[in-house]
Amino acid sequence: MSLNLKSVSLKLDNRQILKDVSLEINEGEIVSVIGPNGAGKSTLLNVLTGDITPDSGDTIYDNRQLNKISIQERAFTRSVMSQMQTLVFNFNVKDVVEMGWLQRGNSDFSSNFSIAFEAVTKECNVQNLVHRKFNSLSGGEQRRVHFARTLLQLWRPSQSNDPRYLLLDEPTANLDLSSEMLLMNILKARASSNVGILVILHDLNLASHFADKIAIMKDGEIKAFGKPEEIMTDDFLTSIYEVPIKVKYDPLRVRYY
Amino acid sequence: MTSRAQSIKSSITEFISSKQLLILFLLCIFTFVSVFIAIGTGSYDLSIINFILGKNTGLQNIVLLEIRVPRVILSAIVGASLGIAGAALQGLFRNPLADPGLIGVSAGAALGATTIIVIGANFFPNLYLGSFLLPVAAISGACFVIFMLYVLTKGFGYQGVTYMLLVGIAVNAIAGVGIGILTYISSDAELRSLTFWTMGSFGGVTWPLLIPAIIIITISLIFLIPNARKLDLLQLGEPEAYRLGIDVQRVKLSIIFTSASAVGASVALSGMIGFVGLVVPHLVRLIGGVNHKYLLPGSALMGACLMIIADLFSRILLQPAEIPVGLITSAIGSPFFLWLIFRMKRL
Repeated sequence: MSLNLKSVSLKLDNRQILKDVSLEINEGEIVSVIGPNGAGKSTLLNVLTGDITPDSGDTIYDNRQLNKISIQERAFTRSVMSQMQTLVFNFNVKDVVEMGWLQRGNSDFSSNFSIAFEAVTKECNVQNLVHRKFNSLSGGEQRRVHFARTLLQLWRPSQSNDPRYLLLDEPTANLDLSSEMLLMNILKARASSNVGILVILHDLNLASHFADKIAIMKDGEIKAFGKPEEIMTDDFLTSIYEVPIKVKYDPLRVRYY
Repeated sequence: MTSRAQSIKSSITEFISSKQLLILFLLCIFTFVSVFIAIGTGSYDLSIINFILGKNTGLQNIVLLEIRVPRVILSAIVGASLGIAGAALQGLFRNPLADPGLIGVSAGAALGATTIIVIGANFFPNLYLGSFLLPVAAISGACFVIFMLYVLTKGFGYQGVTYMLLVGIAVNAIAGVGIGILTYISSDAELRSLTFWTMGSFGGVTWPLLIPAIIIITISLIFLIPNARKLDLLQLGEPEAYRLGIDVQRVKLSIIFTSASAVGASVALSGMIGFVGLVVPHLVRLIGGVNHKYLLPGSALMGACLMIIADLFSRILLQPAEIPVGLITSAIGSPFFLWLIFRMKRL
């Protein structure tokens, strides 16, 4: 089972944002997309979610075309964490996490709600925040709450093995070091329970440490796609970021100069 | 308990706290109490208990059943529809200042209604002015304004708060010109029914006028309330709501149409009554929380309750004369509006 992007191209306002992009995310795999600003990483994610319909090419979830899947069913297949959402009204943190709970009129789902809710809030270390107002939290705390909501959306009854995908756009922005580690380790744990994960990252060290595969994007194209140790080389990264970069294996470390 | 009953019970209580359920229950009681007080109070002395016991005179019964009861019911459904439409529009536009009156929706409805009264009477004198024609014209006016607002504020999101109010001023002015021209060309008889729209009043309502409005408003409430969860998710932004499985376009259309119907039907019967759609949802949020599953029914009940009381005051303050109820709601609502603006600036 896998999520595939097949030769996707997209033009916006006469600018080529994506050029013949193909990508595969297998179940249980973390794929990290890296690249300089304006490379088209977020647009790529928006095509995968179905927010944007590309000019050509296909998005395929487990051998099914995305546009053949109903909007409601898409929500059960993939969960998305985008960069930032502000809320106008003063919701409780509990309300915000609950927004990720998809109802299917299935009593099995309803009776499991409190167990699932407690599990994700504990996992994301927001269990002490649930009774506070969302707008009174710090930026990092708000991110963790949205992350908990995104995880709640992925919840399935234990006997179910429907394929699931998690797509994240710079989830570690605004997070302190410990929250960053917490989040990345949760992703790792989700991958080992067969969730396919695509994560856009800016931190090359984080990407090379946690990702099974890395896609390097520049100017709307995927310049390289493969295992971190295969594609993260001095010369190649230097040519992508246009600053001198040296890769050190410790076991694998990337340093900036 | 069977599993079906269990799942129905959990779908009612899901996403709503027991405190909120208690508030809704209390609001229900307040509404019923205010209905009874309002029916029993007025410049003509009568009592409900005597009516139930059959001790009333024939005249008392007529006053009660043909004047007092329809009037109280009208104020209740108008309050409920303005309250819930305010709550739904604020949620839809993600704008805490979206009130059907302020953003011009009520004015659009009033223009639709006056057009039918004057033009309809002048050009199609034989046209049957059925009791559904007036509400339908008002609803079309309201729908038109909301669609216009939607097109004009596209992409403005939260930054569009002030923008939307400015558009509302313009829409109110345009509708004012329209109503002004229609007033100028209208005959004496039409003029009398026109002035009533600019004031807002529950006087002179009769059952044949009331029943279509009750039907329209009840249907819109029934269609609005199941959208509560979707309105919650819309607060995360339209892309995010879509990712959580909401067909955003369909939800928007259904909310626009149902709230326009509720406002339109109210305006057709009672004229423009300002600030209810602004004040009521805020009060309801203040006492219980912001999730729409609680907010929508809460705003309907609180709106009904406050409107019955406002109408009661309009009838008894200067007995036997009447103060237009729109005057009372504006007198309470406009300082509240100012307070909200100052509070928002601090955010």
